[in-house]
Amino acid sequence: MTAVAAPILEFHDVTVAYGRRPVLWNVDLAIAEPCLFGVIGPNGAGKSTLLKAALGLVPVVGGYVRFFGAPLDRVRGRVGYVPQRETVDWDFPVSVMDVVLMGTYGRLGWLRRPGRRERDLARHCLDRVGLVGLAERQIGRLSGGQQQRVFLARALAQEADVYLLDEPLAGVDVRSQEQIFRVLAEVRDQGKLVVVVHHDLRTAAEWFDRVALIDMRLVATGPTADVLTPDNLRRTYAGRVELLEEIGRAVAERGRTP
Amino acid sequence: MMAAAPTLAAWPPLVAVAAGPLDAGLTYNTLVALAGVATVGFAAGVAGTLALLRRRPLVGDAAAHATLLGVGAAFLLTGRRDLPTLLAGALVSAVAALVVLVFLRRIARTRDDAATAIVIGVSFGAGLALLAGITARGLPGGAGLEQFLLGHAAALTAQDALLLAAASCATVALVAVAFKEFVLVAFDDAFAAAIGRPVGLIDTALVALVAVMVVVGLPAAGAVLVTALVVIPPVAARQWTTRAGRMLLLAGLFGLAAAVAGVLASTLRPGLATGPLVVLTAAAICVVSFAVAPERGWLWRRSTLPGGEESP
Repeated sequence: MTAVAAPILEFHDVTVAYGRRPVLWNVDLAIAEPCLFGVIGPNGAGKSTLLKAALGLVPVVGGYVRFFGAPLDRVRGRVGYVPQRETVDWDFPVSVMDVVLMGTYGRLGWLRRPGRRERDLARHCLDRVGLVGLAERQIGRLSGGQQQRVFLARALAQEADVYLLDEPLAGVDVRSQEQIFRVLAEVRDQGKLVVVVHHDLRTAAEWFDRVALIDMRLVATGPTADVLTPDNLRRTYAGRVELLEEIGRAVAERGRTP
Repeated sequence: MMAAAPTLAAWPPLVAVAAGPLDAGLTYNTLVALAGVATVGFAAGVAGTLALLRRRPLVGDAAAHATLLGVGAAFLLTGRRDLPTLLAGALVSAVAALVVLVFLRRIARTRDDAATAIVIGVSFGAGLALLAGITARGLPGGAGLEQFLLGHAAALTAQDALLLAAASCATVALVAVAFKEFVLVAFDDAFAAAIGRPVGLIDTALVALVAVMVVVGLPAAGAVLVTALVVIPPVAARQWTTRAGRMLLLAGLFGLAAAVAGVLASTLRPGLATGPLVVLTAAAICVVSFAVAPERGWLWRRSTLPGGEESP
């Protein structure tokens, strides 16, 4: 065998089950190049579960996940994560700065506290998402889009090479959405891999370089234009009548853009 | 056995104390007992803040109600009734109750609140039955164990108080060292796990700290009310600040104030249980906080037009 550079992120035959109920079947997916990668699919398709499986947050019952050819434990410092916004209590007594500083904890370890370098880094990350003026504000007193950008800034403070983001655009105003996508594209341009769980097909076609369509198994993956075909979308969203309209819209959109 | 130890109960009412000349030995004992209880109050507020932030304010309740069983069992097994022995028994039964709680939740798949209710009811009932049995049989030294039900800080010796203070200081020191990690896990456990933190271990440490504080708080507040010392001060503190660090400190101070005020009040009349007085003081602090704290307080919100203070 020849020595080929390992993919940045590889799912090998991954199966995940909650209790006895499988939610992801035999996912084989390798991402070799830095890009803006969308994970698309209907509700309950296992998109978030895919990210959680990669991070070891849910037990993988079959297969394995590798980052740079290594198990997560050996490269944890190179992997950044943005959980879904509604998984935390935004009335929690911490400031915007406190939350962003948590991104530096992985490198700091257990006992060291954030110092000058960490604060500067956090401020820089807040600047990138346009929130530097709100550093001292309690996190509950932000809009949904601002909260999402705080989470993004925290991930940036991790200074990772791979970013996994779970619905970073859910419940976000248009201005925040633009800003978040622009920052993600910047991160990609720095040679990093950005994997985004996403629900909106229209913006998906606009921003992602590559996508994977997921419906409890991998339906299709590849360059966005090749994957978001009417046929693939129908197979992914099969039986979900309420989504037919959205599919139609996305397909029409694709007809207009080259 | 307990005759020689000078206790707070031997004190005349405070007023008289303040007026009359003081016996040096007794003064020392009272001050040490008060200082010990003050430390307990502070540490209980601190540990309780972590539990509240992690949204587990009731773990302490389950542990506390189970302590009577351990107190009774320790007395029956050893025949001794010194505080370290009884509290060791209380700690064992508190931890056992928490293990049962985890078992009910994980293995028997019982809902969280239902599991807590079961553990509280069963362990407390068993503890009461055991103490009643000890009293009914008239075992020598068995009388007075029921002081653990409602707390009787006046019975503390200086040595006991030092033990409680040492355990409390250890708790506060551990929280101070690991505060950053506790807050990380309490705010976002998925992120904490993703950066490689052992969330289960940190949660176990948190529950252990609360269990220790509940046991240490027994002489001050008793098995039924000691959780109030763990829950009420943090809730009151949250009203005053939006920063976890300040909330921690403030909860500690509120706990300290409640404990000291409760103990002083109970010395006014010999034989008065401390627990209810401690809890009432804490509740008073909480009510004041709910009413007048800036931004979150009732008066503040009432006097501010809706949305008026939101814009940056």
